Amino acid sequence: MGDDIILDIRRDYVLGKIRDGERIDGRAFDEYRKIEIETGIIEKAEGSALVKIGDTQVVVGIKMQPGEPFPDTPDKGIIITNAELVPLASPTFEPGPPDENSVELARVVDRGIRESEAVDLSKLVIEEGEKVWLVFIDIHALDDDGNLMDASALAAISALLNTTVPAERFEIGDDFPLPVRDLPVAVTSHIIGNVFVVDPNKDEENASKNFITVTTDSDDNIVAVQKSGSYLLDEEKLYQIIETSIKKARENRKLLKEV
Amino acid sequence: MSNKDEVRLIVDGKRLDGRAFDELRPIKIKVGVLKRADGSCYLEMGKNKVVVAVYGPREVHPRHLQDPVKAVVRYRYNMAPFSVEERKRPGPDRRSVEISKVSREALEAIVMKELFPRSGIDVFVEVLQADAGSRTACLNAASVALVDAGVPMKGMISSVAVAKVDGELVLDPMKEEDFYGEADMPFAFFIRNDRIESIALLQMDGRVTKDEFIKAVKMAKDGAMRIYKMQKEAIKSKYVVESEEEVD
Amino acid sequence: MRSIVLPGDLLATNPKVAGSGTYVEGGKVYAKFLGLLDKTDTSVRVIPLRGKYIPSIGDVVIGIVREVTANGWVVDINSPYQGFLPLSENPNVRPNKKPNEVLEIDDIIIAKVTNIDPKMKVTLTMKDKMCRAVRFGRVIAINPARVPRVIGKKGSMIKMFKTELGVQIVVGKNGLIWASGDRRKVNIVEEAIYIIEEEAHTEGLTDRITEFVRKRKGEFDEQ
Repeated sequence: MGDDIILDIRRDYVLGKIRDGERIDGRAFDEYRKIEIETGIIEKAEGSALVKIGDTQVVVGIKMQPGEPFPDTPDKGIIITNAELVPLASPTFEPGPPDENSVELARVVDRGIRESEAVDLSKLVIEEGEKVWLVFIDIHALDDDGNLMDASALAAISALLNTTVPAERFEIGDDFPLPVRDLPVAVTSHIIGNVFVVDPNKDEENASKNFITVTTDSDDNIVAVQKSGSYLLDEEKLYQIIETSIKKARENRKLLKEV
Repeated sequence: MSNKDEVRLIVDGKRLDGRAFDELRPIKIKVGVLKRADGSCYLEMGKNKVVVAVYGPREVHPRHLQDPVKAVVRYRYNMAPFSVEERKRPGPDRRSVEISKVSREALEAIVMKELFPRSGIDVFVEVLQADAGSRTACLNAASVALVDAGVPMKGMISSVAVAKVDGELVLDPMKEEDFYGEADMPFAFFIRNDRIESIALLQMDGRVTKDEFIKAVKMAKDGAMRIYKMQKEAIKSKYVVESEEEVD
Repeated sequence: MRSIVLPGDLLATNPKVAGSGTYVEGGKVYAKFLGLLDKTDTSVRVIPLRGKYIPSIGDVVIGIVREVTANGWVVDINSPYQGFLPLSENPNVRPNKKPNEVLEIDDIIIAKVTNIDPKMKVTLTMKDKMCRAVRFGRVIAINPARVPRVIGKKGSMIKMFKTELGVQIVVGKNGLIWASGDRRKVNIVEEAIYIIEEEAHTEGLTDRITEFVRKRKGEFDEQ
């Protein structure tokens, strides 16, 4: 039971359509809604991006500052990813500290960027063992019409591509573009009955909470996976999902090349 | 602040950004920008970039927070971590709590809460980029978002600050004026039928004479009226097509 | 053409003409929310463009059962206020049936508002020929402020759907619409309703929608 009667009433309709091989908004099962990426929208941030997937909107801002490296990686900068599902974005989000959903969102986005080694952290050392750059990736959801995950991941990498390291402000040399060397893309599939659809909208998400996110890098390697929801996933279906995820990630990555 | 005297904020009768004393920063307003919210508004005022969502009237949970005779209004002013120069730690601090309180009180005074007993009206404000006067930008956006949500109100709220810098009163101060100025006075007015009726929010810190204070109110009123016209324009331009509809 | 009014706009100086969507202060009539002005010599009202459904006695509403109690059912009616349907107001109640055997959680019903107390406790009834539990067909959701448009002048839009498509329709005042009949025809109704909600902005809306319905119907008749 949700708080949103409209979503509840539409649930059967969503499921009925899927059984007929259709989606309520007329998309194919492996089709994304329209994706729009806008970068550099927050001048005060070192980098920023607004990503829209259909009516879903996410802003990511990047802030950087010098700080101490982790003792086990004295020669690497540090990435810190944080997500806020602020109550502005959905009638079901409440004010307060991050809940398990925002923590999961932040961690899955973080893993994609970290494991693909998208940011060359070795170039973010100011003084080895003493001082490195900290990169804060802050995910701010504005409108949750489904699939915040892919929108956030896309906004995060777009914002990183847009980032200038603010060395001059901290009087440690010249500003330089953040070294980004890979483009991880997350593709979330939503499992409904015995089929799966990519990029679920809110009506679809409400019909079942069974997701799997597969993040792949520019060479089609799998760099992060998250099965989310209490359901049992069929092995064969997993392989199909991975195939589809690689294919869709390639398409969405093209949008990043234009950023 | 020892460098207070070193910074000149007014040069040859102009402000640092070239504005006249009674000139507003550029304002941009977009209505109905969020699908999930009942009403919403995106607003830029100078370098401020804010988004507001209104939810409600809706059920209040938990029930003990309900008021049996009127709606409970919540206002949450929140700054995105990347909205300021130095990254802000997520979550409310004392400053946001205070801003939320006085802003909520300004809106509560015009929202017809008594029409919706036991319900809640939530105004959620996200500052994506902060400049001086973010509370005034947020209130202007909140007022528009409430109208967009169809919430019954006695009128609208328009908000602007006046600062005293280098001995002069200036409208809608930017960051430097706010920081180095001698006084800052954010105002919000209840405006009905193109007329300022009364003051809905007033804060002040610094030092001004009584005469300066009175002059500041006049200056703010004048600025607020200009903002009100922009708010109205933004709402009407979104709904203009509807006026041509046939309804029973 | 009706003009748009905003909260606080002065509409009249004679309090006697004040109608819905207005308030009176100091002898003057003001708009209380965003809407379209409907002004005649004897009355002034504001037709809302946005806003939540606030129940009113006599309204037909469509709701979803959220809770089953010993005395009746708590029903979400897409409003800040839940409705309560007492056992005595449901004609399907039988002495040998438990409440949850009559209606259970997530069941959708068409009901009527019979009473509202000062604390906005809303009582519903199903003792009306329009009322029923919805076990088939489709429920379509729109902004409650758009309901008059879907009904059309004197119910013209609804009549048109019935005559053109033979689809049965009940429009809840709360923005939920039940349509039942041939699935493809229900699809057309749904599409048409979304058009009415979204982009109705010329005169002769009913004519335009009729045209749309005939065109869509023609498409599958050809198949």
